[in-house]
Amino acid sequence: MKNVLEVKNLSYTYQGESVEAIHDLSFSIPEGSYVAIVGHNGSGKSTLAKIISGLMLAKNGTITVFGEELNKENLSSIRRRMGLVFQNPDNQFVGASVRDDIAFGLENREVPSGEMDSLINEFASKVSMERYLDSAPENLSGGQKQRVAIAGVLAMKPDLIIYDEATSMLDPIGKKEILDITFGLKKDNPTLSVISITHDIEEASRADYVLVLNKGKLILEGKPSEVFKEKDKLQSIHLDAPFLLSLISSLKEEGVDVPEDVDTLEKLEDFLCQ
Amino acid sequence: MASITLGRYVPYKSFLHKMDPRAKIFALIILMVAIFLPYETYAVSFLVGGIIFVLTIVLLWIAHMSFLNLLKSLSALWIMMVFLLLIYMIAPRTTDFYAFSIGSWKIYWDSFIEAGRIILRLVLMVMISMILTSTTKPLDLTDAFEWYLFPLKLIGFPSHIIAMIITLALRFIPTILDDVQRIMKAQTSRGVDFEKGSLIAKIKAIISLIIPLFVSAFVRSDELANAMECRGYDPNAKRTKYRKLHFRWWDLFETFIVLLVFGGCLYLSISGFNPFNLLGIATI
Repeated sequence: MKNVLEVKNLSYTYQGESVEAIHDLSFSIPEGSYVAIVGHNGSGKSTLAKIISGLMLAKNGTITVFGEELNKENLSSIRRRMGLVFQNPDNQFVGASVRDDIAFGLENREVPSGEMDSLINEFASKVSMERYLDSAPENLSGGQKQRVAIAGVLAMKPDLIIYDEATSMLDPIGKKEILDITFGLKKDNPTLSVISITHDIEEASRADYVLVLNKGKLILEGKPSEVFKEKDKLQSIHLDAPFLLSLISSLKEEGVDVPEDVDTLEKLEDFLCQ
Repeated sequence: MASITLGRYVPYKSFLHKMDPRAKIFALIILMVAIFLPYETYAVSFLVGGIIFVLTIVLLWIAHMSFLNLLKSLSALWIMMVFLLLIYMIAPRTTDFYAFSIGSWKIYWDSFIEAGRIILRLVLMVMISMILTSTTKPLDLTDAFEWYLFPLKLIGFPSHIIAMIITLALRFIPTILDDVQRIMKAQTSRGVDFEKGSLIAKIKAIISLIIPLFVSAFVRSDELANAMECRGYDPNAKRTKYRKLHFRWWDLFETFIVLLVFGGCLYLSISGFNPFNLLGIATI
């Protein structure tokens, strides 16, 4: 399988700082996967997002995106294939209405004006915002604004979507909506890769693959069920295992044989009630 | 807050709302020039003002705007009118129409006429601008503005960047106003009093509002710039446009009428022709 992103020996130090924000980081992300990068504040995860998206250039190490090494020359062509959703819903809303905001990316891609309306409707319906096309951002909730941000990113026709703490300012319902939409998108387009940078453990437990960062170093990686087994290691960096996974591992310790395909609370409930 | 609601866009499906913003801006400028043209006599000045006044009343009616609300929002002009009247009472007179006297101080009618003419002009100016802003979306105004800057584009002036800046500024006005509310609440909870106190205390309170506001605005603009960059925005690259302005037959019709009115006013101004003379009415 192709790798959508490869990071090799990446280090980064902010100007005027003596401590490295990222230290000798190497990992790769296969095409079509959903990868969560978790870590606490100051673990270097946002720095990583900025380097991958080319907003900051790494001094040491290489970033290979879609098989091309990221540099100043190919930055704009690579960027056309990836989309970022940031943390603050307000600060990434460019247009005066939902319609205009989705159109912003289309305008940048030089899509002919006549084709825009149908595309806008298509992307808005993918994030179920088709009823709010003419709403102004100040009349939308945070979750709705983030959904528009995703629609705006979809307008770029990305092969890779990066969430930089996209759900951290949302309420639980908003979070769930964003996750459901993301899984829906991945179902429609199996080659779409998603990197979610988050400190929400519950969200990370739904990913295919989890990377745990601490102080700029990669300390754990693997499937959620494997990573979240390492309770001691996680606790040493003040991260908790997700509720469902720790419940399942406690049940297993007690001798209850929970099947592998149980990945939601509802399924666990059904299994236990059998 | 009253001053912000004044002239704010009111969504409505009227003929004026549907018009091309470029035609509306053109009409605004042309009518303003017509109002401020120098006319030979007061009578002609008031005649022109009166015609345009009737025209704006009709436009207000078409745009479903309330004239009474407009008058209320113009209440600040009354103070100005009294002030102007006082100035013209002191100023040297140009005619001999004695009105009345306060003690030994003789008041002439032309103080009233001169002040009235200026007030009429100001009221008309405000009314016309308000019709424009309350029937046109800020975004459409920006687009029209960009269109008018087209000649400058030929000599390398980045009018599209200016238009983008205006669009973003308009987009962030409600967001920044929210910030103001939020910071005021936060500072009030820390004991800052924004309403009472001496002038110095008030200035201190305002500073405690302005500094966090600037910090927040800078953080926002930094993140916005990142988001725009990530969505492929390059100020120097070619972009297509989603919103297009359409100049239709009624825009042409409107422009024609406005030009006709303007032509008439220009003729009155240059020739000094006084229509009242034809009717045998003596004027000043």
